[in-house]
Amino acid sequence: MAESMLKLEDIHKRFGDLEVLRGVNLDVAKGEVVCVLGPSGSGKSTLLRCVNLLEPPEQGEIFLEGRDICKGPGSGTGESSWELDFVRQRVGMVFQQFNLFPHKTVLENVTMAPEKVLDKPRAEVKAKATALLERVGLSDKLSQYPERLSGGQQQRVAIARALAMDPQVMLFDEVTSALDPELVKEVLDTMRELAAEGMTMLVVTHEMEFAKEVGDQVVFMDGGVIVEQGRPIDVLDNPCEERTKKFLGLVLER
Amino acid sequence: MNEVIHQFFDVGFMAEHFDEVLEGFWLTIQLWLFAAILSLAWGLGLALLRQLPGRKFLPVRFVTIAYIDVFRAVPLLLLIVLIATGIPSLDFIPKSIRIPEWFGKPDPFWYGTLALTITYGAYMAEVYRAGIEAVPQGQMEAARSLGMNHRKAMRHVIVPQAVGKVFAPMLNELITLMKDTTLVSVIALNEVVLTGQDIQSGTFNSSALTLGALMFIVVILPLARLTDKLIARNQGRVARGSHIEVA
Repeated sequence: MAESMLKLEDIHKRFGDLEVLRGVNLDVAKGEVVCVLGPSGSGKSTLLRCVNLLEPPEQGEIFLEGRDICKGPGSGTGESSWELDFVRQRVGMVFQQFNLFPHKTVLENVTMAPEKVLDKPRAEVKAKATALLERVGLSDKLSQYPERLSGGQQQRVAIARALAMDPQVMLFDEVTSALDPELVKEVLDTMRELAAEGMTMLVVTHEMEFAKEVGDQVVFMDGGVIVEQGRPIDVLDNPCEERTKKFLGLVLER
Repeated sequence: MNEVIHQFFDVGFMAEHFDEVLEGFWLTIQLWLFAAILSLAWGLGLALLRQLPGRKFLPVRFVTIAYIDVFRAVPLLLLIVLIATGIPSLDFIPKSIRIPEWFGKPDPFWYGTLALTITYGAYMAEVYRAGIEAVPQGQMEAARSLGMNHRKAMRHVIVPQAVGKVFAPMLNELITLMKDTTLVSVIALNEVVLTGQDIQSGTFNSSALTLGALMFIVVILPLARLTDKLIARNQGRVARGSHIEVA
């Protein structure tokens, strides 16, 4: 059994009266790619946001590299963990809406966090950012502002920006959902490469092909719980649960 | 009709008193500059205090909101008189602070600066707040997910964008501030209004006050036009779809 990178135990999260996560357990090994599927409102995005404590869970434990990251004063404030720095510097996140900093150039978007958070020397940060942007195929866009870029390019910048912090785990929250169809592939290709290099990834997606091809594990969520999980071929081609079958039927109909 | 022109628009009279009025107006401008810089800084401070997250800072947020509410409600003129008549009587404060004469400016100048800063700090805080709240939630989340704490996220990500968004309303406040500096004339600061009034009471001719008004127009009109232009440019940007949604 591979070394555990991330372990979720009985995670609960509610917003007011709405219980979005109702006891989620998940084990992610180092280097594993886990794809999370499910209808909207099933809690998949919230699950990702719990992992990097953007939404600290109210109940349950999350272990990152064996360390319990849910300990801390008060909950529901977004600041409830003692381990915020540990978590945020080890877990990178890419968002559906990219969330690039519009007042900064592409290069500055990538250098900002290492420079301001890790206090690394400027030259070192810049060299690394340039290399990362080259890796995602954007070395000719360094001094552009994000609004000049296509959605696919923006999303690749966002991936490079997260990688600049040397994360151990990458979270992808429906990163291709806001893209025009012809731009989806370039982003997925970048993610494929990342997976091939052994990055641990937790990917919320509607891209079935990607899940099948890249995922080591597929998780189907509905109603705040994991309904079914397992190898992609099992879950996607031979689902056991009615809810999974129904969802896959609806998705594949498109 | 001639009488009206003579009373308000006597060009010869204006020329005769030009230097005096200009001197008063120069004091107005200096008062404006001090109050503008201080209230921009104080307003930002208040806005940031108001945005502090978590239960821990609830009292800070409460006090800040109370401050802003109070000083948006208190008339500036009343505050000016209150400060100028009250502070000099506080014997426990050292005289150099109680009756300040820094940079060769008389004490009413500094009472005025204080009152304007207190009031306009509250106004500016509201302007900054509008800007901060106009920055999409995702920006803070992206900054936090990259390991920035609240302070760094505010400083490097949120505030620079917020200021860009409210540049026009901020200029508007600064214009209003310039005009409101005239209220300080009631505590005997020889700025442009009091200068004009003194001239009027000695000569029974109001043209010096009209001249003061003209000076305001000359300075403020370009600022107002600039504000309009900035607003138009911002609206153009919004109409074009702005940064994020471009696919």
